Amino acid sequence: MSALPGRRAAATRLIAAVAALGVCAGLAWSSARADTATRAETSLVRLTPEQYERSIHDIFGADIRIPANKVDPGSRNDGLLAIGDRKLTLSAAALERDDVVAQAIAAQVADPRRRATLLGCQPRSEQAADDACARGFVARVGLPLFRRPLSTEEIQAYVTTQHQAAEQLHSFSAGIAAAVAQMLVAPDFLFRVERGAADAAQPGTLQLDGYSRAARLSFFLWNTTPDSELLQAARSGKLMTDAGLQHEVDRLLDSPRLESGLRAFFTDMLAFSGLDEDPGFDTLAIDAGFYPNFTLSAQNEAQEQTLRTIADLLLHKNGDYRDLFTTRDTFLTPALAALYGVPLARSQELGGAVPWVPYHFSDGEPYIGILTEVSFLSLHSHEGRTSPTRRGKALREIFLCQKVPPPPGNVDFSLVQNTSDPRYKTVRQRLTAHRNEPMCAGCHKIMDPIGLSFENFDTAGEFRTTENGAPIDASGELGGKSFDGVQQLAQLIRDDPATTSCLLDRAYSYGTERKPTAQEQTWLVRLQAELTRDGVRWRDLMRRITLNPDFYTIPMSAAPLSAAAAH
Amino acid sequence: MRIARSMARGAAALRLIGLPALALWILSSAAGAETRGYAISMVHTATYAEQGNCPNGGNGSSTEIHEKILMDEGYSRAQAVKMLTGNERLLDFDTRGHLYGQRVDVGVFPTSVPDDHIETVQGAGPGHYMYGFNLAGKVTPDSFEDPETHQMVQNQMWRVLGCFTAYQYQSPSIPPYNEGIAWDTAMDSMPAWLLSISGADLSGDGDVTVTFDRSLDILIRDRRGGVLTGSSYTIDPDPRNHSAFKGHIKDQVLTIEPGNFFMQGESQFYALLRLTQTHLRLKLNANGSLSGIIGGYQPWLDYWEYVAIRGEEDSEVDIPGVYYALKRLADGVPDASGHNTAISAAYYLEAVPAYVLNRFGKVVGGAYVNGRPLNGVVAGEVTAR
Repeated sequence: MSALPGRRAAATRLIAAVAALGVCAGLAWSSARADTATRAETSLVRLTPEQYERSIHDIFGADIRIPANKVDPGSRNDGLLAIGDRKLTLSAAALERDDVVAQAIAAQVADPRRRATLLGCQPRSEQAADDACARGFVARVGLPLFRRPLSTEEIQAYVTTQHQAAEQLHSFSAGIAAAVAQMLVAPDFLFRVERGAADAAQPGTLQLDGYSRAARLSFFLWNTTPDSELLQAARSGKLMTDAGLQHEVDRLLDSPRLESGLRAFFTDMLAFSGLDEDPGFDTLAIDAGFYPNFTLSAQNEAQEQTLRTIADLLLHKNGDYRDLFTTRDTFLTPALAALYGVPLARSQELGGAVPWVPYHFSDGEPYIGILTEVSFLSLHSHEGRTSPTRRGKALREIFLCQKVPPPPGNVDFSLVQNTSDPRYKTVRQRLTAHRNEPMCAGCHKIMDPIGLSFENFDTAGEFRTTENGAPIDASGELGGKSFDGVQQLAQLIRDDPATTSCLLDRAYSYGTERKPTAQEQTWLVRLQAELTRDGVRWRDLMRRITLNPDFYTIPMSAAPLSAAAAH
Repeated sequence: MRIARSMARGAAALRLIGLPALALWILSSAAGAETRGYAISMVHTATYAEQGNCPNGGNGSSTEIHEKILMDEGYSRAQAVKMLTGNERLLDFDTRGHLYGQRVDVGVFPTSVPDDHIETVQGAGPGHYMYGFNLAGKVTPDSFEDPETHQMVQNQMWRVLGCFTAYQYQSPSIPPYNEGIAWDTAMDSMPAWLLSISGADLSGDGDVTVTFDRSLDILIRDRRGGVLTGSSYTIDPDPRNHSAFKGHIKDQVLTIEPGNFFMQGESQFYALLRLTQTHLRLKLNANGSLSGIIGGYQPWLDYWEYVAIRGEEDSEVDIPGVYYALKRLADGVPDASGHNTAISAAYYLEAVPAYVLNRFGKVVGGAYVNGRPLNGVVAGEVTAR
C-alpha cells in the first residue's frame, strides 16, 4: 500500500478500506477457529442508522456531526425491521457510504481541539506517529465501539495503520484519523457480532456471552452501545449472574435513556420508516393539491407527535399500553393543530425550535388515541385519497399481529380508484362494489370493515363528515362485534387480547431480533395473562423480558453466521 | 331557528361525536352569539385594467420610465436603450434630484425634480370600471362604476397607478408585481393581520360586529405556499391595531358601517395601512374563506412611502411622478388650508379561517370551514374595545 504525499484524503481512505477488508478476513478466520472450540460468533445484526449515530455520540461526544448514513432501506420481517436487520447484507453502496461517513467522523475525532479530551495522552510530535499514545487510545475507544475488548493483535493492527498514515502524511492527527476511520468500517462496529456458547442444558441453543448480553440489553433498552458500567459488568462476569443481571437491568430501566429505546421500538413497530407497501415517513407523499394543510412541518412532526404520546403515557405516566388507543392526551405543534382543527397558542419565536404543547382532546372532539393521529391516518392512505383497505390492513398487521395476504396480481382496481363515478360517491360504496368480485372479497372482508371506520378522517387526518357530498357511514365490525365510529373501534382494540399479545410478541422479537421459539411463546402467553390482569406497563414488560434467561439465547438453527454479511 | 340550523349542521357528526357533545353544541349555539376568526392571507391594491384607460400608451415599467428620463436629458431612444441594457441599477436614477446644488434621492426629496405629469387613468362615469366605494356620498365627476355593485365609486388611487405596467391586472387575478413580491416576503416575517366577525347567527343575514387586529404571530403557510387554514393566532393587545365596525351580512356578503381603520405591518409595503371612511365588501365563500374589497380615504403620503421605500426598479413606478399625481388627485380629508391629505383607494383582501386567541390563550374567534366549526367549539362574541 502506498500513498502519494499531499493526497491525504485519498490515502486515508485507501488505508481504511484495505484495513477493513483485512478485518473482515480476520473475522471470518476467527469465526472458523472459534467454532472448533465450541464458542462461536453466532450472528451478525446490522446497526440501524439511529444506533450508529447514538453510538458515535456516546463514545466521541454529542457534538460530532454525522453525515446522513441511511443507504439501505432495511428489510421488514414479521412486522419488524429489527428482525430483517439480522438478514441484512452490506451492499457496495452502503459500504461506500459507511466509508465516507467514517472519514468525516474520524476527522472530527482527530481534530486537535477535540483530541485533547479524547486522546488521553500528549503526542511526542504533531508531525509523526506515536504508537504508545495511539495504542492506549485504540484500546480505550475500541471497547465501546466493538462492544468487547480488542485483542492484542487487533490493537496492533490499528496502531500500525496509525503509524503508516502519520509517517506518510507527516501528521499525528492524520494517523489517529486513519485508525478511527478503519475501526468505523470494521464489521465489529457496523454489526453487532453476537457470540455464544453451546448450552448443555438446552441442546441446540447458544447462550450469549457477557459482552453480547450487554450489547443486546443496551440496544434493546437504550438503542445505543453499552456504557462503561455495563461493559464492566460484562467483563467481571456479573452479567452472567442473576443478581448482576437484575442490577444492571434495573439501572438501565431507571435511566432517562429508556425513552430512546422505547422510541426506537415503536418507530419500528409502527412502520414509521422503511419501504413497505405503505411508505414510511422518509418517502411519504401526500398530494398538496388535495391536502394543502398537510404541510411539510406537519409531515415531519406527525411521527414525533405519536412518539411523544407513547412516551408520555408509557414512561412519564407509567400508563397501560392499551390506553394508547383511547387516550385523549397528546402533544401538538401549530402545524399539527391546524390539521386537527383545534386552537393552539403559539410561543415560537421566528426561527426557534418547534414548540410542542400538551393537548387534551375533549369528549366532543372526534380524535381519540394513536389510531386517529395524523401519523397512522396519513401513512396508510393513498396520495390523493383515503384507503380503508390500507388502514384496515395496517391496524390488523401492526397492532394485532395478524397477517393479511397481498392482493392477487390480476386484480382490477379501477372501480375503487375512480372517485368521480357518480354511482359511488363514498369509498364505502366503491369498496362494496369491488368486493362483489369473488377474488377480492375474502381479504377485503377482514380489512375494510375496520378501515371504513376511519373515513371521517381524510388522507391528511383532517376531520370530515361527507365525501363527495354524501354523508360518511363510519360503522363497522371487528371480530364479530359491531361498532359505530372510530371511538367505539378504539375501545374494542383496547380491550382485544390480541392487542396485548401483539405488543409482547413484537417487543420480544425486537429485543432478540428473531421470532420467539415455542418455549418462549409459552412464556409470553403466561406473561400476557399476568399483564392483562396487572396492567401492560412498559418498564414492567421490559424488566420481565430482560430477566428471562431465554432472552439471551439464540436457537442454533435461527441465525447462522452470514458469510455475505461478514463481507 | 338558530338551534334548528345548528342541529342540521351537526347531524352528520352526530354518529361520531355522540349525544352529549351535540347537546353541548346546541347549548353553546343557543347562547346567541358566535365569532369566526380569520387570518388575512392577501392584501393588494385593487386593479381593474381595461383597454382605453391610458390613451397615451401608459407609463410603462421602470425601464420605460428611465428611458424617458434619459431622453429628457437629450439622449436618443437608441442611445437610452443601449445605456440601460444591463446597467439600469448602475446609472443611479434614484439620485437624479437636485437640491441646493446637490444630487439627492427622489425617494426622499420627490420635489427635487419637476412634475413630469405621468399618465393617469382617463374616463369617468358609467362604463368606466374600477373597484371602490362611494366615499363622497354622491356621484362626483371622477367617479368610476364598480364592476360588482355597479354603483358609482371613488378611487383616485387607481387613476394614479392604473397606467403603470405593474398594475395591468384585474383583481382578483394576481396582485401588482411589486406588491405581490412584498406580501409574499412579508408573510414569513410580518405579524399576521386578523379579522373577526361576531353575531347572533353568521349562517344567514343579520347584524354583526367586525374587528381587525394585529397578531403576535406570523402567518403559517400551507403546502401550496398560501396561508394555512385553521391555524391559531394570538391578538397583539396594542389597542392601536384594533379597529371595530358595526357590520351586516346579507346574501353571504359582509359590509360595514364606515369608520376608521388602522393596522401596522412589518413590511416594505403596507408598513402602515390606515383608512378613514372605511368601507368593506367581503364575500363569505362556501369553503369558509373571505374575499373582497376594503377601501376608504388613505393618507396619500402613506402609499407614496410604500413605493418610495422600494425604489423604482422594485416598485416599477415613477416615484416623483406618483408623488405629484397623488397630491394632485387627492380627494379627501382636507387640511386647514383646504389641501386634501387623503386619496380614495381600494384594496383587494382575502382571508382564511383561523382561530383567534387573546393573550391569555382563550379562543375569542373560532375557525369555520364549510360552515362547520373545525373542532366543534363555538366561541363567544367579541365586543368592540
